[in-house]
Amino acid sequence: MSSIAQNAPGKTVLLMGNEAIARGALEAGVKVCAAYPGNPSSEIIGTLAKVAGEMGLHVEWSVNEKVALEVAAAASFAGLRGLCAMKQNGLNVASDFLLNLNLTGTGGGLVLVVADDPSGVSSSNEEDSRIYAKLGDLPLLEPATFQEAKEMTKTAFEISEQLGLPVLIRSVTRVSHARGNVSLDEIPKSSPRPRFENSRPRLAFPPVPNHKVLHEKLNKARQMFETSPFNLYRGPEKPELLVVTSGSGYMYSLEAVVNLGVQDNVGILKMGTTWPLPEKFLLKNLKKTDRILFIEEVDPFLENNVKETYAQNCFDLGLKAFFGKASKDVPEVGELNPEIVTQAIQKLLNVSYEPRPPDYTQRAHEAASDLVPSRTLGFCPGCPHRATYWAIKMALALDGRDGFVLGDIGCYGLGAGPSGFGQMKTLHAMGSGAGLACGFGQLDRFGLEQPVVAVCGDSTFYHAAMPALVNAYYNGSNFLLLLLDNSATAMTGFQPHPGTGSTATGEAAPVVDLKAVCEGFGARVEGVDPFDVSATVETILRLLQDEKGVKVLILKRECALVSAKKQKSLYKVEVDQERCLGEGCGCNRLCTRIFKCPGLMWDSTTEKARIDEAICTGCGVCAEICPASAIRKEVA
Amino acid sequence: MNKGLKGLEEKVISQDLCAACGACLSLCPYLRSWKGRVVKLDNCNLEEGRCFAYCPRTEVDLDGVYRRIFGKGYEEIEMGPARKIVMARARDPQFTKKAQTGGVVSALFDFALKEGMIQSGILTPRDGELLPQGKIIKNRKKILSCAGSSYVSGPTLEALNRGPWKGRERIGIVGLPCQVLALARMKASKLDKKTPIDRVDLVIGLFCTWALEYKPFMAFLKKRVNGPPIKKLNITPPPERILEVTAGNKLVRIPVDDIRPFIRSSCRVCLDMTAELSDLSVGTVEGKEGWNTVIVRTAMGENLLRRAKKAGFIETKSLPKDNLKHLIEASLLKKRRALDALKERGGIEKGYLNLSADLVKRIVSASGEANP
Repeated sequence: MSSIAQNAPGKTVLLMGNEAIARGALEAGVKVCAAYPGNPSSEIIGTLAKVAGEMGLHVEWSVNEKVALEVAAAASFAGLRGLCAMKQNGLNVASDFLLNLNLTGTGGGLVLVVADDPSGVSSSNEEDSRIYAKLGDLPLLEPATFQEAKEMTKTAFEISEQLGLPVLIRSVTRVSHARGNVSLDEIPKSSPRPRFENSRPRLAFPPVPNHKVLHEKLNKARQMFETSPFNLYRGPEKPELLVVTSGSGYMYSLEAVVNLGVQDNVGILKMGTTWPLPEKFLLKNLKKTDRILFIEEVDPFLENNVKETYAQNCFDLGLKAFFGKASKDVPEVGELNPEIVTQAIQKLLNVSYEPRPPDYTQRAHEAASDLVPSRTLGFCPGCPHRATYWAIKMALALDGRDGFVLGDIGCYGLGAGPSGFGQMKTLHAMGSGAGLACGFGQLDRFGLEQPVVAVCGDSTFYHAAMPALVNAYYNGSNFLLLLLDNSATAMTGFQPHPGTGSTATGEAAPVVDLKAVCEGFGARVEGVDPFDVSATVETILRLLQDEKGVKVLILKRECALVSAKKQKSLYKVEVDQERCLGEGCGCNRLCTRIFKCPGLMWDSTTEKARIDEAICTGCGVCAEICPASAIRKEVA
Repeated sequence: MNKGLKGLEEKVISQDLCAACGACLSLCPYLRSWKGRVVKLDNCNLEEGRCFAYCPRTEVDLDGVYRRIFGKGYEEIEMGPARKIVMARARDPQFTKKAQTGGVVSALFDFALKEGMIQSGILTPRDGELLPQGKIIKNRKKILSCAGSSYVSGPTLEALNRGPWKGRERIGIVGLPCQVLALARMKASKLDKKTPIDRVDLVIGLFCTWALEYKPFMAFLKKRVNGPPIKKLNITPPPERILEVTAGNKLVRIPVDDIRPFIRSSCRVCLDMTAELSDLSVGTVEGKEGWNTVIVRTAMGENLLRRAKKAGFIETKSLPKDNLKHLIEASLLKKRRALDALKERGGIEKGYLNLSADLVKRIVSASGEANP
């Protein structure tokens, strides 16, 4: 793969959308880049971190998105260009700062890239972050191609500096995570000296005059966007149907039109600047036809804003029919694809098309079944979370008071599913498990008798659970927080965090002592290795019986995937075929029927369990749970 | 009808009929006990399992079980087969001092171990918080640590299933009526055993009218005692019936009626006061402080009592007629109350016992007149 840092103007390289965004930032002369990892945005800062040294950048994984945006904004205030990246949920966290930053304005170019995850494939929610642009009166760009991802990022810095506003770029999974050809431009060699101008304080108040200035800036942006090359029309002069689209919807629309062979009937209006909308450009194109279809990911953002503009000008434009999410011609939820778009256009044009058969997905799965092993969504082999949830399950069952586990997003969020034995019962935002526990932990005074348990990963703890823990101590809440310390931000790709001892750029960093932090917050803290299942069960049980107050149990064990990269497996694990009870009374396949680590296999010919040596990581936990001591572990 | 864990859960655990005897524990990974409660951890889909087969509260065919142990059916309805009934006490003051009553169980057990009649025993010591647990015992000193009672039933039989065993030793067990019934069912079961039940040569039964549920009882005691750790519990004989709690230097006296709410539901449907399916059962004698009642039921029991007496480990006297009458009345009273409880729970025929209408009639109409 080509380095995104090569200074080779005119060269065409294959880049992932997120790499193209990173390259665009380099071509814009970015100096400070900050983010909290989150799919599908993680590779933007990840890529920049790799070239930080040679390019002389500061790149960091911040503890959360709000801090990341503040870090990038500081660069901007000092006259440097700053880039911040996050996923849609991240913008919710950063929004408090963002909706003040719009009032104070920016100095050096400040670009905020938000990568949305339609269908929430690797998210807790499905959310359209574009609404924040409207909410905060901020310019918004939406790349549709890989080249555009790069160009728009570069342009966004310029717009930001011209307007003195942060500029939002909204990507989606299919732009961020797909790859395409990108033609490179020059990387400037600039070394501006940062300086904070004391004569130019950045104060959000007084809000009303600042709000007025903000609206003036927004109007200026509208003017600028009238001639933006990112907005374009493709199609006949008088189309039967006008497709108004943005982002990945543009490519889907192009493909659909070709699929149906309706190039002469359908026009495509691709909008790259989706807030504020360039009114004149838009009206000019709306006049081309009376039937308009909207194709865009997640919410009818473009659809509603275009309709708003139309309503303002309807006397000039006459009657028009709009189709899209509101009319249910396009699904209101879930990710789009070319087939969905094709069917929507086909229906409106009433042309013949043989749609994809309804059993297509099932047949595709069947066709692939010989190629990939059938596994349910769950923890990796050797994952410490499986051992942790096993212990939680056992401890709560033995405790017998119907205790429950409050969780949030992270690998351990899979604890709600079969590989976590269905133990996790709530899933919302980062740190919400601990926050909810603060509340549940107060309900004993009204008669709640169930023990309250929260789970939280190490990275999530720094991100958003620390305030909850402080709150718990201060307000005298009563719960047990299980801190699942796997020493990684595992779900998003093993990014380092304050507990790992290294920075985004691979330099050594001081390690934040989780135990000391929790103790400093007033919690009673204990630690246990989740691979020691019986000790973990015993400790959880004991802490559940304990006197009131907030208790933290740190379950420390490195992520199995991180561990596998560094060292050989702990144990060589084998199943003694003589001792294995199989389906007999006394076991009945505990390891492959209930515990279900993918490293264990049921051999239906011998009716015994086996180790899948190809994927067993040698954690040895199954040896501890085997009732017949048939699973044996030997130090590898 | 499922005769595995699913059936056990439906018929026993969810019906609050578990006696916490321990027969189903350490057989498989799906059942565990904690603080006196047996807990199902996961589902097991077997149609038939040892947990169900051994449980004293699932489809008990009394006739079949009695036939397996005594070679005859459930006939002696008053208090089970009895070769001999005497009163006895230990002669070693170490035993009598620590004992709840006469120290006979400790002395007999000590003797059986010493004489090599058994090599290992399973007794039920209590931990620092009075929670009973089955434990493998091989010497006199350890026997002493098991003397006394906390009036709470514990999973004694788990120790039999768990081991560790060497593979040759003959085993003796002291158990409550529910536990001796479970042991008899283990012996009678046709399922692949995988436990050393066939090496259990000696079963000493303890008289029992009821046992208490550990967690609520302990919560109640802690509140009443309020402070010092509890060392000993003792219920004074009728008519007084006071629970004496020794805690630190304090003696707290609690009327037995106050602790009745903590009696296990399982005990309310139990027909057996005198641990009928044992080699020999031991209880107290009303009005004769320091003496135990001993019912000898099998040749093994008879042999043990005779040899222990000869060796000077115990002394015996004949049991006065009035005491025998009281004993039979008390035993029958427990049976009748259990039948009433079963009726209340939906009918005797729907209960866990396979009892013919004729036997029910005999139990209801039997008198306390001495029979043996």
